[in-house]
Amino acid sequence: MNERNIVYAMLYRQLRRYFRARSRVLGTIINPLMFFLFLGMGFSASMRGMSAVIGIDYLAFLAPGIAVMTAFSSSFIGGISVIWDKEFGFLKEVLVAPASRTYAILGRALGDSITSVIQSFLIVILMYAIVPSLKVEGLLFALGSCFITSLMFNSLGIAIASKIRSPEGFQLIANILIFPLIFLSGAFYPINNLPAVVKPIFYINPLTYSVDLTRYFMTGISSLPIYVSLSVLLLLTAVFTFLSARVFNKSTLD
Amino acid sequence: MSAISVRNLVKKFGNLTAVDGISFDVKKGEIFGFLGPNGAGKTTTINILVTLMRPTSGEAYVAGYNVVEDPVRVREKIGIVFQDPSVDRNLTGWENLYIHGLIYGLKGEELRRRVEESLEFAELTKFRDVEVKNYSGGMIRRLEIARGLMHKPEILFLDEPTLGLDPQTRAKIWEYVERLREEAGVTVFLTTHYIEEAERLCDRVAIIDHGKIVAIGSPDELKQEIGGDVIYIRVGDHSSAARLLEGLQNNGMIISHRELNGVLALSVNNASKVIPTVFEAASMMGIRIEEIKYTQPSLSDVFLHYTGREIRDEEADWREGIRMRHRMR
Repeated sequence: MNERNIVYAMLYRQLRRYFRARSRVLGTIINPLMFFLFLGMGFSASMRGMSAVIGIDYLAFLAPGIAVMTAFSSSFIGGISVIWDKEFGFLKEVLVAPASRTYAILGRALGDSITSVIQSFLIVILMYAIVPSLKVEGLLFALGSCFITSLMFNSLGIAIASKIRSPEGFQLIANILIFPLIFLSGAFYPINNLPAVVKPIFYINPLTYSVDLTRYFMTGISSLPIYVSLSVLLLLTAVFTFLSARVFNKSTLD
Repeated sequence: MSAISVRNLVKKFGNLTAVDGISFDVKKGEIFGFLGPNGAGKTTTINILVTLMRPTSGEAYVAGYNVVEDPVRVREKIGIVFQDPSVDRNLTGWENLYIHGLIYGLKGEELRRRVEESLEFAELTKFRDVEVKNYSGGMIRRLEIARGLMHKPEILFLDEPTLGLDPQTRAKIWEYVERLREEAGVTVFLTTHYIEEAERLCDRVAIIDHGKIVAIGSPDELKQEIGGDVIYIRVGDHSSAARLLEGLQNNGMIISHRELNGVLALSVNNASKVIPTVFEAASMMGIRIEEIKYTQPSLSDVFLHYTGREIRDEEADWREGIRMRHRMR
């Protein structure tokens, strides 16, 4: 009936809120930026041999990892707004609406993902300015890859947040998940030369595929064929979106 | 056809029965009130009627649709103002209304016009671009009522619409609800634990206590049902009260009575004629009357009559309740 309306309504709301909270814009960029500058410049200066192994300058290698890290952490943490909505009551407004809840949650995930991509875009622009060897023609595709990543992890965040009562509880889960996932994704070092026992850990981490795909677009190198990364990402995004809609559809007050 | 029709509705939370087999009908266009203390089952009933909770058993029809089988149809026909705010505090009044309109399928010019109308109705046009977190409690409530009406629902649910508001704002909200009846012709289902609110606004009231409806009717009907005036006589102890009651009962003027902790409450048709006979009987039996007063019946007395408690504070004992009211007059 009015599916498009509810998607647009939620999208509109998430974007409005985002642009009103300008401090948040800055807050989620600062972390990845520090990683890029301090970790990246340190490594690229002191381990010149590494460039020979990975084939490109370390800063260029790191840049896609940082872009994905930004999209991932901001989109996943975005799921917390479901808990705030429960707390401040807005969730009820959505629950009693005669509109599809599936589309409501989709609109919300789209809105949050767009804001995450805006974050990624800001940091990507900075990195392109610092590292001239990054491929300009891959920028839009890289942002597309960040968008899929955001949609995937925002849906996961929403699904988890729908099951949790307190913002602190969600924050705890986010803290436990975010850094291991980033460190085990190949964002900071190539996974090709890792021992065979460790590799499976990377391969079950969805973020590995995001980083690899984004790196392909930004630098031209990748560990996996891009069609593999892309299929895995699209499949997982579909699964997580479905999961979040399912959890949200069942929401009642008792 | 009734706007709302409820049959043997039950809702249990574990061992607790929040709603215990209630049945009632709300006619189209009337303002119907659920009056009861906190924890009586009012909000639970609303939550079931607006499809946010599933009943344990029983049936409820809103605008002709079953709330369990046809929740989306029901949601299309209703507007709701919850007890706690459900607006987005980080958005402006305009944005909140705009999003609401979108969710309910309005678009384009029509949507923008309704947003303006709603702002006007809520008298918030001046504050349209102010974030809701800067609104006062009364402004938020007005915004929410306007929002609940924006999509022109057949039935509007108001859960404790004036809870926590100061008396002036409360009076203002009452005016709003009265305007609804005149202008919008919408059916209103409201819950309250304020006697004055039920008395002033409602065409019919259901008194609910411990999940059960103990009385239902127009405020006037309910008051007539418990008789005319109520005389409160404090004689100090239970046995004197019992003796006095016995002495009075054979004169045929007492419609009903209740006694607690040495306070005798008598329902009579004409208190000013009965009081002298009370004094006569008391002095004949040598019972000292410590305090006597009478009240014209109010819904408060109706509540007291059916539940044995004051509505204001369910923990306070009955005599304490009478004292409190005594001081207030």
